[in-house]
Amino acid sequence: MSDKETTHFGYKEVDKDAKAGMVADVFHSVAARYDLMNDLMSGGIHRIWKRFTIEISGVRKNNAVLDIAGGTGDLAARFAELVGPEGRVVLADINDSMLQVGRDKLLDQGRQGNIEFVQADAQFLPFPDDSFDCVTIAFGLRNVTDINLALGSMLRVLKPGGRLLVLEFSKPQSALLSKAYDTYSFRVLPVMGRLVTNDSESYQYLAESIRKHPDQATLQSMMEDAGFCQCEYHNMTGGVVALHRGVKA
Amino acid sequence: MAIDPTLHTAALAALEAGLNRALDLSPQSKPGLARLEDCVFALHCTAPTLNIYLHPSAQGIRLAGTHHGTVTTSIKGEASDFTELATSVDPTATLINGGLALEGDSAPLIALQQVLATLDMDWEAPLVATLGDVVGHQLAQTLRRAFSWGKQASTGLTRQLEEFVHEEARLSPPRLEAEDFYRDVQELGLRVDRLQARAERLRQRLQNSRS
Repeated sequence: MSDKETTHFGYKEVDKDAKAGMVADVFHSVAARYDLMNDLMSGGIHRIWKRFTIEISGVRKNNAVLDIAGGTGDLAARFAELVGPEGRVVLADINDSMLQVGRDKLLDQGRQGNIEFVQADAQFLPFPDDSFDCVTIAFGLRNVTDINLALGSMLRVLKPGGRLLVLEFSKPQSALLSKAYDTYSFRVLPVMGRLVTNDSESYQYLAESIRKHPDQATLQSMMEDAGFCQCEYHNMTGGVVALHRGVKA
Repeated sequence: MAIDPTLHTAALAALEAGLNRALDLSPQSKPGLARLEDCVFALHCTAPTLNIYLHPSAQGIRLAGTHHGTVTTSIKGEASDFTELATSVDPTATLINGGLALEGDSAPLIALQQVLATLDMDWEAPLVATLGDVVGHQLAQTLRRAFSWGKQASTGLTRQLEEFVHEEARLSPPRLEAEDFYRDVQELGLRVDRLQARAERLRQRLQNSRS
């Protein structure tokens, strides 16, 4: 029997050390068409979910914001406008392909001066303690190998009073919606992935990883256990997506 | 039942896009908004229940459903009260006499209302960009003339109707006369209240002297 610790990669059990590399392969494969696929898969609703996240973040002028797993920079772009020239936004992603797409996109939009791009692992954030007023992670937490370790790392880099926002797929609140969502995820998404990015496996992983991710209440208690206070969550689109918010005391 | 944040946020995003498109076509409105850059306006609508926060800036107006922090001006009322304020010629009078409850500084709110009420959209640029110089310009000219005629006709008709109602048919008193009358009624109300209080005091004194 192997002594190695395992974790899930979609529905598969894999070595804990191997997961990061496997997730990286998924995102290397989809990076170039990530935005297009997001729009197609969600019908553009992912923009509404992100907009609500920005509203709840309470980010204002001169704030320092860390956007982990920031990917193609949708949140970072908006935060850069809100914090103004004296503020600071760090777009961090573990995957260099995604970071490159995000950096090119934001620079092409003329956004520079208050944005930094950092390749970083959410579990071991390379920033000093108490550095940020707000930390966000949108559709990234379920890909992290050890969620508890990542939550602890985010708590460490937040300033006291700072907010963590976790936007992630979650558990639909009605049985009917859940059934329709399952059909869509396992039948339609892989086909769409094959047609657009020539990669159905990555989208099969996406659907499976969503099912393995903790539900709303479990994630809230994980945040409380990590040391966040005033933890709450907002269900969106019937619970397909949930936004969790916690504050560093 | 609470509205799903997706719907609420989508509605605000659509409203914001429309509002900012209109502001883009009215470039003279931007300096007015830039002066209100650090202000936050909270609109609490009670019927239907809806909270909207307005963040003006030189780039336009950002709408949000939630806001953490202080607000410059907060107004509460029904949808019809907000419509009345938005279209009012005299926003100060509407704020004082209307059904809206106001908290905070009213001056920035009046400044915002004036920016929005005096939007003067120039359709020429988008029309020229879409249809070309000649057709775009001619269509813009035609639209400008049509809008100008419509505005004049509406102002003239309102004035004539007002004159007919007040002066010829005597269906309603003129505005100043009506306001004077309402002031007198208010004053009378106050005097009656004072008289009632005095009578009550006298009644108490009489009762005390008897006992």
